[in-house]
Order: sequence, then structure tokens, then C-alpha cells
Amino acid sequence: MHLWQATASFCLLAATAVPGVAASAWGFTDATVAVQPKGAGINGGFKDQLTPSKPLASPVSLVGADTLRVILTAQEGSSAKRPHQAFLLLKDGQTGLDISYPFSVKDNGKSRVELTQKDLPIQFLSLSNPVDARVVLGGFGDSTAYDSSVFQLSIDRNPEEAVPTVETERYGKKPEINHIFKDSASSPPIVITLAFVAMVGATIPVLAGLWHLLGANVSHLPTAFQSAPLSHATFLGSLIAFEGLLFLYYTSWSLFAFLPAAGVIGTIAFVSGSRALGEVQGRRLAGRR
Amino acid sequence: MRWCLALLVCCLLAAVNALSSSGSRLLAVLEDTDQKDLYSTLWADLEARGYDVSIESPKSDQLALFKHGERAYDHLLILPPKSKGLGPSLTPKHIVDFMNKDGNILLALSGKASTSSAVSSLLLELDIHLANDRSAVVIDHFNYDTLSAAEKHDVLVLQRPGPLRTDVKAFFDGEGVLALPRVAPQTLGGESTLLAPILSAPATAYSYNPKEGVPAPEDILATGSQLNIVSSMQARNSARFTVLGSVEALEDKWFSASVKTPSGTETPTVNREFAKQLTAWAFKETGVLKVDKVEHRLATEGSELNPSIYRIKNETVYKIEVSEYVYDKWVPFELPGDDELQLEFTMLSPFHRLPLKPIGRTETSTIFSAQFVTPDQHGIFSFRVNYKRPFFTAIEEKHEVTVRHFAHDEYPRSWVITGGWVWIAGLWAVIGGFLAFVVVWLYSAPVADKLKKTQ
Repeated sequence: MHLWQATASFCLLAATAVPGVAASAWGFTDATVAVQPKGAGINGGFKDQLTPSKPLASPVSLVGADTLRVILTAQEGSSAKRPHQAFLLLKDGQTGLDISYPFSVKDNGKSRVELTQKDLPIQFLSLSNPVDARVVLGGFGDSTAYDSSVFQLSIDRNPEEAVPTVETERYGKKPEINHIFKDSASSPPIVITLAFVAMVGATIPVLAGLWHLLGANVSHLPTAFQSAPLSHATFLGSLIAFEGLLFLYYTSWSLFAFLPAAGVIGTIAFVSGSRALGEVQGRRLAGRR
Repeated sequence: MRWCLALLVCCLLAAVNALSSSGSRLLAVLEDTDQKDLYSTLWADLEARGYDVSIESPKSDQLALFKHGERAYDHLLILPPKSKGLGPSLTPKHIVDFMNKDGNILLALSGKASTSSAVSSLLLELDIHLANDRSAVVIDHFNYDTLSAAEKHDVLVLQRPGPLRTDVKAFFDGEGVLALPRVAPQTLGGESTLLAPILSAPATAYSYNPKEGVPAPEDILATGSQLNIVSSMQARNSARFTVLGSVEALEDKWFSASVKTPSGTETPTVNREFAKQLTAWAFKETGVLKVDKVEHRLATEGSELNPSIYRIKNETVYKIEVSEYVYDKWVPFELPGDDELQLEFTMLSPFHRLPLKPIGRTETSTIFSAQFVTPDQHGIFSFRVNYKRPFFTAIEEKHEVTVRHFAHDEYPRSWVITGGWVWIAGLWAVIGGFLAFVVVWLYSAPVADKLKKTQ
């Protein structure tokens, strides 16, 4: 019941309001936009007329310490009047930033706003595209408010000056980090290694050749093996076995496998070696070496 | 038999009470308890969702937020008082203590009368600012309800808010329009990461004190999207503080009203839906995250689970299971938009920060995983997942592990290193030479001729 009454009264209200809306809408006239460079006279710099119906074709540039000034006379219908809201609204379509600067309005509707880059939030200074400058006029009651783009404002900076940035932390994902590993150890080219290995390997034949030139020989081998075959064979065998033991230790054995084996082979080498060297001494005492 | 019955009753109770992830005791503070009928749909909706609503006046003697040092309520809904403060048991200090103990608060303001100084100073503690004279109202000559505020333009008609950023989940979006009568605007401090606007005013809106005439340019607090109608603060302990600028939007009248903008047609409001979304978020029915399981291991098959020690340059797999609470159940968590769940492998500072990719899901959780090579630096590292986002409760997981150096038998053998071949060859050349020398020394016969010649 209550709702019905309310709706009925609203309908009545709307019915009376509709012709009024068509008659009175906010707008402006006698509007100019001017950019006054620092130090220039009142009429120095850029100046252009603004129309409520259509924005200026080319963007207005606001550089460095210039002052942007917008002057207009607000109208409700066709009579000049002071609006409750008279803003110059800067809006960036890409980032969604918006900020309004209120006009100082006189009772006869004459309004004026001045703006320098210092008045702008620093988020606006780093925008690459011109922002939309809109005039917003509105008041209470049923007259239609006005909000339309009047020109594009290009906020230009001296390219040599750094653009101030905002350093505020917000929760969000952080940049990815991948650990940079140190370079792994590397070997010289295999060719060089093989050349040096060949040089090292060549020392054995060189040594053998030199000894041969000096007259080294193994002529007493049969004699020695005839007089003490067991001790010579065991002594030489134990020396070779000891080197084999070292090889096993290098490739796979642990120290505790190596030590007892080395002890056994060392004892064999000691006992058989003293016998073999006794035979060598016998040869020396016989004057054969 | 009685055991079974008791268990059944317990289960039923749990099912009824388990609605919010953090308890069901809700205290609504209403100065004039006679006014509670204005919000009867809100109370009914809250009770239907499992809340145990008690409505108290701030002047009541029995009102206390704490009992024996513990919270007596889980959530607090404060409706704007007409008097200067909220009474001795709801001082700003008590309210901040309540939040420190994980209590959630929804504070409603109204532009009808000036906000009390106690509320204003409480908001100031959280870096939420009201107008200087605390009696501003948001006006928009473009988005107002022509049916109820044809003259004053102070009933805003707005769309429900979309996502705050592309990487933030939208908890409050949907079709339909909201009617927000006589909004007390808030502005947020720029420095805090804990504050997030939920609903901002349109670009053409502004605020002014209705008791004064035309505002002078210097009296305008803020304009456009700087004015917040609903804002939120989520503390480090994930306790939530939500500010709603228009308490009237919660009234029964606006739950079922129809509104019409100057340019639009008459449409019913979705205030009831929005009130559900807003109270659900504020009282932790939505946007609550939980880690179910964390696993890390070597990438090789059959390796030990969650070892305490790794070696440098080990290929490692990390897995984390995350669930999100949605109204009454845990569901697999999905990352909003282009957001990432990131894993850090940290010793003082992160050595790796890698995105965790969803690799599968269980009934209630999503499994996120990342594979990486431990850095070539030994020390005490930790696997860290530090996921803090607007509107989500924080996830902070830290698992410490040791990263050791290569053991002596884990380096490559010398014959594998080609550069070492020269030295190996040298060693065996010496051994060969020694054996040859022994043979020559034992068995060489003197060369008689040459000796004689030299003598």
C-alpha cells in the first residue's frame, strides 16, 4: 500500500519534472583555455575558445612551469548562475586516474581555475598519452548536470629531467628471481691435453734409449734366476703387486682395505728383497759387477 | 547409544555453526535498540547463515568485548552512534585489542549526522580519514536516485565494484545497482599496504557538508575516486576491519527499493546481495586461505619426503596445497587473473623466487608445484611462500633446510677430468721408470770394454 502511494507520488513528481529537465540544463559560455609560460605577460602563450558541444581538435600542452587557466561562465538554461559543483576534471582513460580541480565561482557564474604541474599528483606526470580534460557543472534539483570533454591536456616534461615516481609498496606478485650459478670448472681442449700426455708418455722410451746408450743391460738376469730363482721372482713380483695395490686404492679400495694388503706385500718384499740383494752382493764379491 | 546421539548433536551443531571460518558469535552494537527492526532482513539473513547475533546498546552495562581476557565475540558490527562516543566498553583501544585477538569488525557510518569523535579517532589509527568536520556527504549529480533524492542528489546509485586490479579477486562484483543513501566518505592513507578500497565514488562525485552552502574550493576534501564509500583494512594477523559509508544501505527499505538514475530506467536494488557479500567478506566467510600440506623432496624417483638436508645443485621439487573458504566449505584455491603464487628459496635474501604452477587438485585444495636447482651456496635456507594479497588472508609458510656442500666422494673422479690426464700419465711414467730402474740395477752387467777405455 505504502509502496503504491510512494510510486504514485514519484510518478507525479517525475511528470512535473520532465518538461523542466528539458528546459534547464547546465552548460557554459564565454569559455577560454590559456597556457601562460612562466614570466610571459598576461596575453603571452597559447589561448583558445572552448565550446560546450565539442572538444578542441588538438591537445593543449602544459610544459614545465606553465600555468593552465580555464575561464568560463556557468549557465543554467540560458541564464548565468552559480552552480554547486564546478570542476575541471582530468581523467585518464587507460589507467582510470581521475582528479578534479574546483573552479572559483562568482555569483554571476564567472568561474576560473588555474593549474600548474606542481598541483598535479605525480601519477599524472608519468602518463604518456594526453589526459581528457572535462568540465563538470551541476546543481541540486532537476536540471541536468553537464559533464563533457572540452580539450585534451598533454602533460609534457623536459626530457632531461627525471620523471618522479611513486614508491609505495602494494601487495602483489614480485619479480621472478633465478639464481645465477658460478661457471663450473672446465678443462683445456682435449687436443692440448693429449699432446702433453704424449710428451709425458714419451719420457719412458727416451729414458730406455738413454740407458741403452750408456750400456745398461739385463745380462745377469739368467745368472741371478739360476742362483736364487724364488727370491728374485718374489721380490720383483711383490714390487709389481705393490704398484697394483696402489692402482686399486686409487680406483676403488678404501684405506682400510689397502693398509693390511700393503703390510703383507711389504713384508714379502722385505724378506725376499734381502735374499735377492744377498745374491746381488754375492755377484759383486765375485767381481762380476 | 547415548554416545552416538551426543556425537550426532555435536555434528549438527558444528554444521550449523561452521559457517564463518572464524566463529559465529556476532555482536551488533546499536545505540537505539528500538531501531533494530529497521534492519530486520539483515539480522534474518545473518542468522540464516549461521550467525549467533546479539544486539546490544553501547550504553548497556553487560556489554564487554572480552571475558576472562578472551574475546567474548568473534565479530563486531558497529552501527553509527548518535552520541559522542561508543561508551566505556568500546573505546578505540578496546576495538584495536579486539582486532589484535583476531576479531573482525564491520563499522557502518552515516552521513545523516556527524560521525562521533571516538569513531573518527579509531579510523585515524588505521589511516582511514574522514572529513575534517566529520559531517560530509557524497553528492553526485550524475549517479543519483531520481525517485528518492530528486532535490538533494545524495542517494548514490552505483554498479557493484569489479576487481580492484587485474591480479585481485573480485569479491563484491555482480549484476545490478546499489543504492547508497547519504554516504559518509573516507579517504585512505597512501602508505599502508593493509588498506584496500572496496567501493569508490564515481569520478564526478564530491563531498560537502550539507549544513553549509556552496563549498569553497579549499573546503573540498577529495573528489572522484579518491572518495571511498566502502573501504577495508586487513591487519597482519588477517583480522578484518571494514568501513561502510552508508548504514542506511543495510536497511530493509533499501533492500527492496527501486531506483532510477537521471539517464536510466527504474531498476530494483541489489543491496541485499551486496550486504551478503560485504558481511561475508568482513566476517571471513570468503577470501580465507589455508595451507593443507607442504612437501619438498629431491626430483629423483623414490627420494625421501621433506628431508632436512639438501646438497648444493640438487634438483628439488616443492609442492603446496592451498584451499579457499567460500561461504560454508573449503574449495580448491584458484589464482585470480594474472596473479602468481611464488616460492622463495631464501637465505637472508631470496636466491630463487619462482612461480608455483597448479599441477592438480584434490576435493578441497589445489596443488601448486615448482621444480628448481638449489643454489651453489651452502648454508641454512628456507622454502618460503609468502602470499599476501588484498582481500585474501595471508599465507606465510617457512620450512628450513640445510644445504650442504659436495661430500669428498661426490666430486667427479680425476680420470673423468680431461685436464688431469697429464698428471695421471706422469704418475704412471714415474712408476714405470722406477720398476725399470730396479730391474736394470739388479741385473745389469758391467760393460767391460767401455770401462777399460775410459780408465
